[in-house]
Amino acid sequence: MAERLSDTPHTIDTIGSLKRGEEGVIYDTPGMSLLASLGIRLGKRVRVLSKSLANGPLILMVDERSVAVDRSLAEEIFIRK
Amino acid sequence: MANHCGGSKSTRRQKRRLRRKHHRESRGRPSHKHILLMGLPNVGKSAIFSRFTGIDAMVSNYSGTTVEFYEGQMDIEGETYLLRDAPGVYNLKDSQDDAERVAVNMLEDGPEAIIFVLDALNFESSLHLLLQVLEYNIPTVVSLNRTDLMKSRGMKIDYRALSERLKVSVVPTVALKTQSLDVLKYSISKVFDETITYDPPETDTGRWRAVETITHDVVKSPGENGDDRFSFLVKPLPGIPIALGVLALMFAFVIGVGMGTRQLLLLLFDGMIFPLIEQGVSAVVSEGAFRNVLIGEYGFLIKGIEWPFALVLPYVMSFYIMISILEDTGYLPRIAVLLDGLFKKIGLNGSSVIPILLGYGCGIPAIMSTRALPSKKQRLSVAVMVSFAVPCVAQSGAFVVLLVERSLLAFFAIFIVSIIAMILSGLVIDRFHRQKPPFTLMELPPLLLPKPKILSRKILFRIKHYLKDGAVPMVIAIGAAALLYELGVLIVVGDAMSPLVTGWLNLPSEASTPLIMGIVRRELTVLPLIDMDLTTAQFFTGALVALFYVPCIAMIATLAKEFSIRTSVAVFLFTTLAAFFIGGLFARSYELIGILFG
Repeated sequence: MAERLSDTPHTIDTIGSLKRGEEGVIYDTPGMSLLASLGIRLGKRVRVLSKSLANGPLILMVDERSVAVDRSLAEEIFIRK
Repeated sequence: MANHCGGSKSTRRQKRRLRRKHHRESRGRPSHKHILLMGLPNVGKSAIFSRFTGIDAMVSNYSGTTVEFYEGQMDIEGETYLLRDAPGVYNLKDSQDDAERVAVNMLEDGPEAIIFVLDALNFESSLHLLLQVLEYNIPTVVSLNRTDLMKSRGMKIDYRALSERLKVSVVPTVALKTQSLDVLKYSISKVFDETITYDPPETDTGRWRAVETITHDVVKSPGENGDDRFSFLVKPLPGIPIALGVLALMFAFVIGVGMGTRQLLLLLFDGMIFPLIEQGVSAVVSEGAFRNVLIGEYGFLIKGIEWPFALVLPYVMSFYIMISILEDTGYLPRIAVLLDGLFKKIGLNGSSVIPILLGYGCGIPAIMSTRALPSKKQRLSVAVMVSFAVPCVAQSGAFVVLLVERSLLAFFAIFIVSIIAMILSGLVIDRFHRQKPPFTLMELPPLLLPKPKILSRKILFRIKHYLKDGAVPMVIAIGAAALLYELGVLIVVGDAMSPLVTGWLNLPSEASTPLIMGIVRRELTVLPLIDMDLTTAQFFTGALVALFYVPCIAMIATLAKEFSIRTSVAVFLFTTLAAFFIGGLFARSYELIGILFG
């Protein structure tokens, strides 16, 4: 991880840190097959459509679809800004 | 093949019975030649299924409705096959939920062929699943679906190139257009003897890599990125006010259209049908107990028709029209996401809102739909909430009849009490059964205009279900009540319960009758009160007791089937006790306030 970090001049952060309307390219995800099937895979561009009330899920736009991702899970998905 | 050879009618029937028996014994493994329909969730699989089989399959946007799979007959070139609709899944490897396990089992049951629905809009994920399906070496036809939406977004997929790459037939379809389905059917008839020659990658990384290269080669124009015109619907502002507005409109429609239809029906029944029945019966049956059973107090030719068909049916219709429209637009998962954070506070996921909304129609489909929830605890929690505090549409209709004309305030108060009770019961269950809710991770299906044909089929299916499983037991219960009333049994029971009913609830002793009948049908706890001479406070007490009282027998049976007999007995006891307790509490405090301020 540390090596990969130094490879890139970009900022690495979690999806959870993005504000509404911001974009990022996925850099690292927890190994969950459903995440990949929903389009949340390395190199994919995602945009935060909204953040739900009361610490509810983030709504992400990936390719052609909207996916709701829990806040806690969003803290484990890393993106390049 | 042997199944199709002639033989006399009776032996054929015998064989069919045997086959059915065999079917049960082998846990759903069909002995008939069958074709499997596979694909991701929410890609229009069910629509293709119902077009091919013409069976009343429920078509809906909400992920999870196909966990119970559908099966139907399909004719291909004169031969009959069973078409099985596998649950929509994302993945087949190290399956994590029931739906995935069911899908894998179905693949292993040895279908003759597979129709794979490849969603043009979810191209990569669909392809990823297809590569896993091809590993099973079963002849496969790919239906490239939603090509209409694809075109409207300026996306182009070279389906011939895709077909060459995977060495399977690919048919572009719009799920509901007949002509493309005919082409699909033709391709299936040609596929049975083919073998899969494509060699799918073995590892998941390999599969995704293959998916990406194929996508790169086959998708000529990726289309504009995403349709987010409706993203405002999932933003807290204005999303939540809009959701509340939509639900309020739905409520207003259900009540308004229900009331209007009821008035029309009552004109018809009171003005024409009932006088006719009364005249006819009076002419044939002489005065006495038997005539009373037919047209007396609970005369089942009068109440047995009026209650299920004139009072309740209008609300059942208006509710199912509304909820079916909401389901088919794909809006419900958006409400679930908006409320997810709040539901987490009582240990539930936002998707719990869907069974609860269904519960306002009927508790039985609501309890069944909890199957789609991610944990046992959530299932139980939501099922108990629905059994305890969510009035079914039949009962809500009865509340309208009972309260709206007397006090609009009392009517709304009932629903507010219901919501508070739901939240409290959720909190209590969470306290006793603390468990972190699994995290939310779901796709929001695209918003669609409902297709009138599928929508009307679905609404008719649900109304038919009410007539069969709701109205018929109600008529029987009313008949039984009429008989018991004439035999004097209800009066004896009423006397026995009278300390509770008159002493604690401040209701006349005749009000114990609906409590007995209410065990059969939820609204029967309310409807008999209508003809009694009570004060508004008494009506409200009656409505409160009815709200929390035993859900109907059918719901108790469903709870036993879906959970355990223990659960259903516990719910039975708990709801009864709570109903009397809360009803009495209101009656007592109302009395107290009257003494203090009156």
